This record gives sequence, structure tokens and C-alpha cells, in this order.
Amino acid sequence: MIDFPAFGSAVGMLAGSPEAWIWVVPGLLIGLLFGALPGISVSMAMALVLPATLYMDFLPAIIFLTSVYTGAGFGGSIPAVLINIPGTSSAVATTFDGYPMARKGQHNEALGAALFASCIGVLVSYIVLFVLVQPLAEIVLRIGPYEMAAIGIWGMVLLGSIGGSTVAKGLFAAAIGVLCGTVGMNTAGYMRGDMGIPWLLDGVPTIPAMVGLLAASQLFALVNAKFIVEAEEHRTISLRRILDGGLMVLRHPLSQLRGTFVGIFIGAVPGIGSSIANLISYGEARRASKDPASFGKGNVEGVIAAESANSSSEGGSMATMLALGIPGGGATAILLAAFAMHNVVGGPRFMEQNRDIVYAIILSNFAQAFVLLVVGTGFVFIASTVVRLPLRYLIPSVLVMSTMGAFAIEGSIAGPITLFVFAVLGWLMSRYGFPVAAIVVGLLLGRLIETELLRAWQLAGGDPLYILEHPVAVGILVLMVVSLVLSVRRDVRRRRAQRAEA
Amino acid sequence: METTVRRHIAWAPLLLVTALSGVALAFLLEARGVSLDPQNLLLLQPTAWLVLLLWAVLAWGFLRARAPAGPAGESRADILRILAMVAAFGGFILALEPLGYDVAICGFALVGLAIGGERKPLALLLFPPLFSLGVVHGFRLLVPYPFPTSLL
Repeated sequence: MIDFPAFGSAVGMLAGSPEAWIWVVPGLLIGLLFGALPGISVSMAMALVLPATLYMDFLPAIIFLTSVYTGAGFGGSIPAVLINIPGTSSAVATTFDGYPMARKGQHNEALGAALFASCIGVLVSYIVLFVLVQPLAEIVLRIGPYEMAAIGIWGMVLLGSIGGSTVAKGLFAAAIGVLCGTVGMNTAGYMRGDMGIPWLLDGVPTIPAMVGLLAASQLFALVNAKFIVEAEEHRTISLRRILDGGLMVLRHPLSQLRGTFVGIFIGAVPGIGSSIANLISYGEARRASKDPASFGKGNVEGVIAAESANSSSEGGSMATMLALGIPGGGATAILLAAFAMHNVVGGPRFMEQNRDIVYAIILSNFAQAFVLLVVGTGFVFIASTVVRLPLRYLIPSVLVMSTMGAFAIEGSIAGPITLFVFAVLGWLMSRYGFPVAAIVVGLLLGRLIETELLRAWQLAGGDPLYILEHPVAVGILVLMVVSLVLSVRRDVRRRRAQRAEA
Repeated sequence: METTVRRHIAWAPLLLVTALSGVALAFLLEARGVSLDPQNLLLLQPTAWLVLLLWAVLAWGFLRARAPAGPAGESRADILRILAMVAAFGGFILALEPLGYDVAICGFALVGLAIGGERKPLALLLFPPLFSLGVVHGFRLLVPYPFPTSLL
């Protein structure tokens, strides 16, 4: 599985080219900064720096871009923890427990855990990529629409009752999210729910809606508070506590490993990527936990599960890109564009003929994971000062920044309008105990599930029993039903216990 | 000893789920009006049915609520302050294009500060224009699309 002569050549290539290394720290810093800005996605950050790589050699250019990728992958978790805004769509699940931890004054620990989980996730995913790049890519090729739809539905059901007071409220919120996700033209060409608004033909703008639901709605609820962290003694910024957060990751190796492998696998599937991986990993961690009720209230395992998955999905998507030449998402598409700019064609032939370069890229990513640990700690230390800012300044400032981010994504007023509508919806729903995160999940997965179900329907010619020829999809669906039954049973038991106490 | 639990109707959440279910029903009817082809309704129709079914379950619960809806310990003034911020944010979004992003940002920052309880005149005078200046110039560097401004 490992080509040792090529490996030796890769080590020699990296050792003899200092210009490949000087771009790692700037790349990570750019990624961290852009990832932390709401509305600037990983792919947007990479697109912004892509022209600068034209005058670099091929290897330094790719190392620079992958550094931006790695930095932005973690950068998104910083606003997710501190102000409940996922800097990127891959940090949605980080908000579920990261922000409640920050509200309790555990922002240092939450950010430390997110950083360490990300670094370990990146490292393990590239180790897996190093050993299993070819077999992983072959498995990915066997995944069809049935399996993709089943993965989407799996994520939906796992997350249906996040933080909500009852399963009914969770499912209601998730179903509303799915309906929002089906607005506009579907892949069969039918237009529904667009209300004659041209920009709704492409569907509800996901990122502005997500920021509105998660962040703006929470900011409204905070209008009467003075600081994000109420107790003054908890507003400290401490390097020791950031490192303590890192140690928490080592105390929960199962959550870390589960998240990492979910991330690698889901990240490798083209079209799904890190924005889904973090949700599925979070849902799995919650399902497997002995204390699922603590999730959504500041359980560090939730942060670890989300961050390990979104970071490790980088390695997964790189596997598909390097071995097959198929970009799993926007970021790997930009990497392929960088390949093309240097007259290199990605795909199986590149992998076969330039295995030493592939290994050099993988090895440099091992180093990036360690450098991110140092650079990220410094960045987190500075970013944490947000908890010391009075909310009377923070609320209007963050609402304005979110609005500008929403505009930046859509390039029109459609983004800000969507942000406002979903902010009000999110505020009302969270006020009455509906899990807003479930709407976000429904919105993110609704379109994916519909697209894949349609493909499956077309392949099967409308025969629902055709699914029986896809045992993996059936297995996932059975798991989903079992998970739902367990959730309902847990809900009924809890309500009975509450009644008995009353 | 048996204690009696006082029940009442939780109007606000009942109205919310009813409004959302109404929108879901309208969406379903509109989609059915477009086409009855399964390729149009494959996910939408069962999801809309699920929403309506869950509305019945939730509405039954809200008609027999045990505790008042909404966060505990919230005064009328607290709710009014939140509603003022929601209204100010809505006004800001509506003002972006007609007034220009710079003026709208400056105005919203000022109103937002006032709603949040800032009363120092110097802060109210300096923060909004400086913040608008930073945001407008920062986003001009980052965002490839032009956005209308009146002064900057």
C-alpha cells in the first residue's frame, strides 16, 4: 500500500525545498482569519489566494493552498464557539455545544478542545490517506444515490431532537427545515414555493439562513444581557485553560476517533463533504453517549465530535481528489484549478506517475497539523477577547458583520433578507423550546436528500423495492429506525420521570 | 398527597406552530398545483404531512400547557427591548439599498447601541461612523460585488 521509494523521494523533495515550507504559516494564518469571518467560506478563502500561487512552483503552491484549507477548517470554529456563528458551514455542529460552553465561561476549554480535535483529525486523516489512498477512492466510487440519500436521512434522524424539549418539537423543526430546503427548482425541473421571487429559484440561500437561525436569533435573545459570559470571574483568557481543553480531547479518544473516521469517509464522498460530516459525527456522538441529555448544553464531547469530523474530512476529500481527480467540494475544486494552472492534470494517472509528489503533499499536511497547534493556540488566545466585549457593542457589530457576510455570499440583497427572516424564525422557535439546530440540519440535508432520492427513483424506474439491491443503504435505514425508536423511548421515559417528580 | 397541576393554553407557541403548519400546507397545495408527478412530491409531500401530523400533537400539548411559555423571569420591558432590536434589524435590512450600506450601518449601530443601554454621548457619536467606515472599506477589499453607498 505504501510505495517506499516514492516516500523516500518525497522526503528528499521536501527537505531540499525550503520555499515549500515558508508558505505554511502564512497559509494557516490566512485560513484561520478567513475561516473565522462569517460568510467567507473555505473555498472563498482559497479562491482569493489562488492567483498568488500562479508564480510559485507546483509543490509550494499546493502546500500553501492546503495550509489555507487546514487553517480555515479550524478557523470556522472560533466564532462558532464564541458568538454562535459557524464561520463556515462545516462548523455548524460546533455551535451546538461550543457556544453553551462559552456561555458557561468555558470558552478557553471549548476552543482548546476544538483546536486539538482539529489538529488530531487532520493528522489521522492524512495518515489514513497516506496508507489507504487508493482503496478509499475505490470504495467511494461504489457509493450511489441510494447510499447518499440514506446517509442524508441518517444525519436527519440522528439530529432530529437536538436540544429540544421533546422529540415532536425536534422532528417538527427538522421537517420545517427540510421543507425550506425543497423550495425552488428541484433536479427534475419542478419549481415550488418560490413565491415569484427570482432568487428563490435556486432555493433558500443556505448560509445566510443558517447564520440567521443560529447566530442572529441568539443575539436577539441576548439583548438584555451585559456580556456573553455573565460572571466576571469567568471572562478570563487563559493559555493554561486552552491547553486543558486540549487535554479533554485526549480524555475522550473514542469521540475523537469516531469523528475522525466519520469525517474521512463522508469527506471522501463527492458532494457531501465536511458540512455534513460534522453533523453526522455529532449525532453519532450524542447517540452513543451515556448522557445524551447533556449534549446541546455544553458537553465537550459534542465539540470534539464536530471538530474532529470537519477537519478529518479534508483528508477524505483529498483522497478522492488525488486518486480520482474528482473534487469532493469547493476547496478541492480550487486545488484542482491550481493543478491546472501549473499544467498538471489530477486523477489516477497523476497518482500513478507522481506518487512522490502526492506523498510530499501528504507529508507537508502532517507538518501543517503540528504547526496549526502552535499558530492556532496564539490565534485562539487573541480571538477569545470577544468574551470581554460588552454585548451592547457586540450585538449590533455582529449583526452588521453577519449581514455583510450574507451579502458577500449571495452578491445581492437576497442574503441579508434571508438572514433576517430566518433570524426572526430562529428566535421565535428557540424561545418556545424548538431546537433551532434541527431546522439548520433539515435545511442543509433537505436538498441533498431530495436530489439523491430523485436520482434513486429515476434509476429504479419508480420501484421502491429496488432499494433491497443496495444492502448498505438498507443497513443505514434500519440503523436510523432503531435510533428513532430509542429516541422516542428515551423521551417517553424522561417525561414519565418528570411527571413522577411533579 | 395528590397535587393538582394548573393547566392553561400557551397561546404564543400555539400560534407559532399553527402559522408554520399553515405555511407548510400552503406550500404543499402550491406544489401539488404545479404537478402531481412523484418526482415533484417525493420528499415534499410526506414531509408536509409530517408537519401537519406533528402540529396536531404539539397543539394538543399547548392547549394543556403546565408552565408559561417563553424564558422564565422575563419582564415586559425585556421583551420590548428584544422586539425593538428585531425591528431595528428589520429596518436596517430594508434601508440597505435605498439609503446605502454606509448610512444604514451607521444608523443601525447607533440604534443598536442605544437599545443595548449605551448612554455615553461620545461613544454614541464616535462608534457608529468609525465602525461603518471599517466595515465598508474592509468588505470592499474582500467582496468582489459592488454595494451601494451614499457617503463612503
